[in-house]
Amino acid sequence: MPKCTIDGREAEFTPGQNLIEVAKKVGIEIPYFCYHPGLSVVAQCRMCAVQVEKMGKLQTACSTPATEGMVVHTRSEIAKQNQRSIMEFLLINHPLDCPICDKSGECDLQDNSYKFGDSNSRYTEERRTYLDLDMGPVIKKNMNRCIHCTRCIRFGEEVANIHEMVAVRRGNNTEITTIDGRPLETDYAGNYSDICPTGSLTLKDFRFKRRAWYLKKTNTVCEGCSRGCNMEIHQDANRVHRCLPRVNMDVNQYWLCDEGRFNFHYLHSAERVVEPAIKGKNDDLSMTDWDSALDAAKAALVGARKLTVLVGSDLTNEEILLLQSFIPQHLSGAEIVHFGTAGVATVADDAAADKLLKRRSKTANLHGIEQLGLKPFRGISDGTDAVLVVRGGRAELPELPSVKLVGVGVFEKSEARNFSVVLPGTAFAEKDGTIVNFQGKEQKLRRAVIPAGKSKALSEILMMWMNRKSS
Amino acid sequence: MSETLYIQHFNEQARPLSYYLEKMAGYSALKKALGMSADDIITEVKKSNLRGRGGAGFPTGMKWGFIPKQSSKPKYVVCNADESEPGTFKDRDLMRYTPHLLIEGMLIAGHAIGSSIGYIYIRGEYTREAKLLNAAIEEAYKAGYLGKNILGSGFNFDLTVHRGAGAYICGEETGLLNSLEGRRGEPRVKPPFPAQAGAFGGPTVVNNVETLTNIPFILNNGGDWFAKLGKLEKSGGTRLISISGHVKKPGVYEIAAGSMTIRQIIDQLGGGILGDKKLKAVIPGGSSAPVLTADEIDVVYDIEPLMKIGTMMGSAAMMVVSEDYCVVRLIQRITKFYEHESCGQCTPCREGCKWMEDVIHRILEGHGREQDLNLLLNIADNISGKTLCALGDAAAGPVTSFVKKFRADFEAYIRSGKNAQVHH
Repeated sequence: MPKCTIDGREAEFTPGQNLIEVAKKVGIEIPYFCYHPGLSVVAQCRMCAVQVEKMGKLQTACSTPATEGMVVHTRSEIAKQNQRSIMEFLLINHPLDCPICDKSGECDLQDNSYKFGDSNSRYTEERRTYLDLDMGPVIKKNMNRCIHCTRCIRFGEEVANIHEMVAVRRGNNTEITTIDGRPLETDYAGNYSDICPTGSLTLKDFRFKRRAWYLKKTNTVCEGCSRGCNMEIHQDANRVHRCLPRVNMDVNQYWLCDEGRFNFHYLHSAERVVEPAIKGKNDDLSMTDWDSALDAAKAALVGARKLTVLVGSDLTNEEILLLQSFIPQHLSGAEIVHFGTAGVATVADDAAADKLLKRRSKTANLHGIEQLGLKPFRGISDGTDAVLVVRGGRAELPELPSVKLVGVGVFEKSEARNFSVVLPGTAFAEKDGTIVNFQGKEQKLRRAVIPAGKSKALSEILMMWMNRKSS
Repeated sequence: MSETLYIQHFNEQARPLSYYLEKMAGYSALKKALGMSADDIITEVKKSNLRGRGGAGFPTGMKWGFIPKQSSKPKYVVCNADESEPGTFKDRDLMRYTPHLLIEGMLIAGHAIGSSIGYIYIRGEYTREAKLLNAAIEEAYKAGYLGKNILGSGFNFDLTVHRGAGAYICGEETGLLNSLEGRRGEPRVKPPFPAQAGAFGGPTVVNNVETLTNIPFILNNGGDWFAKLGKLEKSGGTRLISISGHVKKPGVYEIAAGSMTIRQIIDQLGGGILGDKKLKAVIPGGSSAPVLTADEIDVVYDIEPLMKIGTMMGSAAMMVVSEDYCVVRLIQRITKFYEHESCGQCTPCREGCKWMEDVIHRILEGHGREQDLNLLLNIADNISGKTLCALGDAAAGPVTSFVKKFRADFEAYIRSGKNAQVHH
């Protein structure tokens, strides 16, 4: 491999790699704002300018490919002077409202200011200000915080395939906005906030919820479709506040769709059944204790002439395996089938749902559940007099017959209205497990929060079933 | 007087094709070029020591030589007629009076680089010149100098006039190409240079109007002849100079390259300072060129000598300032221009130009502070050489030179709070 020298360290590189990436490999941070590895290079912020021996001017590291024998200085006096100067330029018109800004604590502008800027400013002129703009349901724009890096414009054009963010006016008055101030249309709008290096584009869903430094992060996988985008769950005090994409070049690169990003809200929904429930006298669900609910479930299922077990393809492989050994032993004769998305019965029906990430299967483990041998649900067979539904929070319930219905897992009250019994289980963020995406990749769900209310893991529920001596 | 190429034709009668054919050996250079190989044409242009007339002074033959012979995408010849550098108005006369020279120059350039598509990107304010160019292009099409199978040679060339929308930054060649393509007029990251990926991604040569109008003369008389017109090494031909400001006879003049000093030009061509006052300053190459004081003007007016004393010839636009003009007011106006014309994509230019203008404006309004001058020098230094394109340098150079060379004037202005009311 060819080699260059950065700040005295020898660095190997693959031809074409830019200096920012090469420096990263040997542990040297070259600061930048407009550069993003998933977007085109524009060299606009000028923050990454470094000194390259035998070249007269500073060179922007983002747009300079490493070459054999190149000698680079990222912290020489002239490079540091430029870093200080760019920080000063970027901050003269910035409101410095970090105390009330949601980006604070995870802001590139703030971090680089501490690392590379001066703590005082020489600016005494009037600051430039803009009017705010409503950009639709996902993003709130605060243009005064913007540093014109144009990442959002490039994300729209190059990744989301939509030309909706633009720069209007010119020079010092340049404004980054949507065309004609229209609301954002893309299904990937949350990424605008992720890639914004300042607090200019923030998620409406997350604003003023938690300061970044209070959030505990868990690496997991999105359960929104069969791609299984890698993401982080950010929670505090057992409440999930947001999900952010995690880089995986093979699966989702740097991105996450809005559906997946905001999917977590059902975890904390007031509509979720989080206590064992049985059908009451007035035909509605009434909350009860685990013992009574287990007894009711057994009563409904054990004596059934023909039982169908619907297993959601939103469950993990481990949960599916458990059911595959539990049901023949304790509910023998039952027919076991899987369900998940209307119109996507098997992996043969699964396909790309758009040009970027989304898949047609709205459950994450369709491919895993088929590998484990379960057959797809094709409709209730004649004579069925009881149905057991086991699912996470994502598999879409098919139309169910008016027979005895028992649910195990995550249900909303309205969904379980006709159920005889609901045994509350765990959602994707409340359990560990393995899922298989459409590429055949095994990925791990990781538990980020404890199960809501009295919900229990499937293994625990089945164990209680086995140990419960019916009265 | 030494030989001039253009100035004798700068009148309305010179415009039609008939005049061009009769009096200026019109399209004979094209005929000659069509019989030559591309390499021979480029060699001839290299020999001529023709340097770009737009401002940077890059050797034209070398620029053409960068265009790859083979290309999967079409190649383009683009004429930069966005003449926007304050003080510059020579290309306007070339297009107004000798449009066919430009057309012929572009045809030869097209033949030399293997391109059959040309664009003239003309600044939006030049409405009259755009009309005249279109009329001349129509004449050339009718006479068979443009279009398919030109003069039976098998060479095709189409030429289109594209009008800009009034942005200085579109005179920067990649900003121009973006604008030509219908994008926002912002310079591109280089490399790739236009020779590799220019208009619509194809190899493109971008030349100034005057650069291209020199080409027919070079082909007709030979590169050596053209090189010898210039009085210095590495700078051939003649130069059209736009003289403006406090001179008795402002206008466009033509001199053999390197044949006169600035003082001689002001006195002999410009007719001396207006009102026979003393000279205060000369901005030698368009408003972006660092200013010269009255005792720095005994310098030969050409690319290398001016570079040696820390300024530049730029587009050969000489702005002359007499003794009683306020330099604070002058630099404020210049800085305001660059602040207004900054495209806004790169940080130092977007933020720095406005900051400098704010500070200078504050000084002008009588609210200057002692430390403002060092602040200005420092801001200019933080812009200079650190921007995406040359506009940052164009804005910083004047500020640095004005503050350094006329510091006493600035200090006096700041101390008195106000000065030279008459100039406001």
